[in-house]
Amino acid sequence: MASTTLPGSLPSTQRAARRWSAVKQTGLVVACQAILLVVFLAGWEWVTAQSRQTAFLFGSPSAIFGFLVQMWKDGSLFRDAYVTGMETLLGFVFGNVLGTILGLLLWYSRFVSRVVQPFIVALGSIPIIALAPMVIIWFGTGLASKIAMSTLSVVVVALVTSYKGAMSVDEDQVNLMRTLGARKRQIFRKLVVPASLTDIFAGLKLTVGFALIGAIIGEFMSSSEGLGHAIFKAGSLYIIPKVLAALVVTIALALILTWVVGKIEKLLMPWRKI
Amino acid sequence: MTYDDGRRSVPVIGEISFELMPGEIVSIVGPSGCGKTTLLNILSGLLAPSSGEVRWHGETLSGMPPRVGYMLQKDLLFPWRTAVKNVTLGLEVRGERRSEARDRARALLDQLGLHGFVDDFPATLSGGMRQRVALARTLINDPEVLLLDEPFAALDFQTKLLIEGDTIRLVRGAGRAMLCITHDIEEAVSISDRVLVLTRRPTRIKSVYQIELQGDRTDMMAARDDAKFAAYVRSIWRDLEIAEN
Repeated sequence: MASTTLPGSLPSTQRAARRWSAVKQTGLVVACQAILLVVFLAGWEWVTAQSRQTAFLFGSPSAIFGFLVQMWKDGSLFRDAYVTGMETLLGFVFGNVLGTILGLLLWYSRFVSRVVQPFIVALGSIPIIALAPMVIIWFGTGLASKIAMSTLSVVVVALVTSYKGAMSVDEDQVNLMRTLGARKRQIFRKLVVPASLTDIFAGLKLTVGFALIGAIIGEFMSSSEGLGHAIFKAGSLYIIPKVLAALVVTIALALILTWVVGKIEKLLMPWRKI
Repeated sequence: MTYDDGRRSVPVIGEISFELMPGEIVSIVGPSGCGKTTLLNILSGLLAPSSGEVRWHGETLSGMPPRVGYMLQKDLLFPWRTAVKNVTLGLEVRGERRSEARDRARALLDQLGLHGFVDDFPATLSGGMRQRVALARTLINDPEVLLLDEPFAALDFQTKLLIEGDTIRLVRGAGRAMLCITHDIEEAVSISDRVLVLTRRPTRIKSVYQIELQGDRTDMMAARDDAKFAAYVRSIWRDLEIAEN
C-alpha cells in the first residue's frame, strides 16, 4: 500500500487526514513553545519579587512590559523601531546587492578572484565597531552613517557567500552548457546565477542580523533616535528594564525581517521542497 | 569522421584510432579507469588531446562541434527549471523563439512518454523520468552524433531497457550516429552495430565486434532472443577479463 505516489493522486480523505496530522504536529510545537515561555517568564518574575537587588540587575517581566506600554503610548516604540528598521533595511539591501553582484562577477575570472582573495579576507575580519568613529566622520551623525555601518556589516559576508555559491556550481553542468554552444555570459546568466540562489539566500538570512548590529552600533556611537539609541540612553541611566524593553522590540524587528526574507525565498525558489 | 588519440604526460589513452560512420551506433566497453570519459571529452571538444586529432566530416576539430548531443550518467537537469524548460535550454542558447522551442520540446517529451509532466520540476520526477528529460534535451538540437557516457547505468533494469528502446528508436529513426560508453555488455550488444573493447591504461583498442542480430533492432528484448547474442556477450566478457588481469 505504497503512498509515495505522484502528487494529487491520493484520495481527498487521505490528503485531508495528512494535513490534519501536520497541523496537530505544528500545534504541539507551538504549545510547547508557549509553555516554555510562560514558565520562563513566571520563574523570572518570581525571582525578582524575592529580591530588590535581582530586580534592579535583571529587571522583571512586569517592569519590562510596563516600559513597553509606555513606549507604545508615547509613540517612541514606533518611531525608534521605524528608524532602526529603515537603517537596517537599507543597509541590508545595499550591502547584499553590492556584495552579491561582486561575488558572482568574480566567477568570470579565476585569476582575478585569486588576486582579490586575501584582500577580501582582510576586509571581512575588521570588527565593524572599529570602523564606527570613521564612518561618523565621513557620513555625519544622521541616518547616512547608520546605513553605512549597516551596509559595511553586510557587504563582505554577501560577497563571500555568493562567490562560494557561484564556485560550487557543478562542473558537469558547466560542460553541458558548453556542449550546447553557450558563451560565457550565457553560462553565467542561465546556470551560475540560478544555481547560486540557494547560497545567496542562506547569506541573506545571515546578514539580517549583521545589518541590525551595524545599525545599532552606529546609533550607539552617535544618535538621537532609534532602538540602539534607546538602549544606550536607558543603559547609561541604569534603567535595565527599559534596556530590555528596547531589546525586545529589536528582537521582534529581526524576526520580522528574517520572516520576510523567508517568504521571498519561497517565492523566488518555488522548486525547493522546503 | 576519423580520430586518432594519444596522451603523453599521464599515459591515459595510448593509441586509439577509429571511425564513426553516419547513422552508426558504436558502443565502447572497457575496464574502469581506462579513460573512456576522457575519450568522450576529447571527442566532444571539451578537452584537447595531447597528440593526435579529432576530425569531423574530414576536417580537424577546433572548439565544439556543432550538432553533437552529450549525455552523462548524471541527468544534469537544472532543478530551477521545469522539465520542458530544461529541454528548451539548448534552443534558448541558440536564440530560438520561445513558443516554437516550447512546442518542439513538448512534442519530444510526449514521444518519450512524459506527456503529463512537462511543467514539473525535476525534484518531483523519478530517476528514469529525469534521464528521459535529459535525453529530450540532448535530442532537441537535432544532433548528428550523440555521445553518451554510461547514461543508463544508474537506472533499474526495467527502466533501463525501456529507455534504451526509446533512445534507439529516436536515434535510428533519424539516422543519427551514436557513440555510447557502457559497462553493461548486454546493453552494448543489444543497441549497437559495433562494439569496441578497450584495454587498461595506456588504453588501446583490444578488439572490435561487428554486431549482426536479426529482427527489430529497436526492440531490446528481441535482440536477446537472437542466437548470436550470448556468443557476442561471452566473447566480449572474455576480452574484458583478460584486459583486467
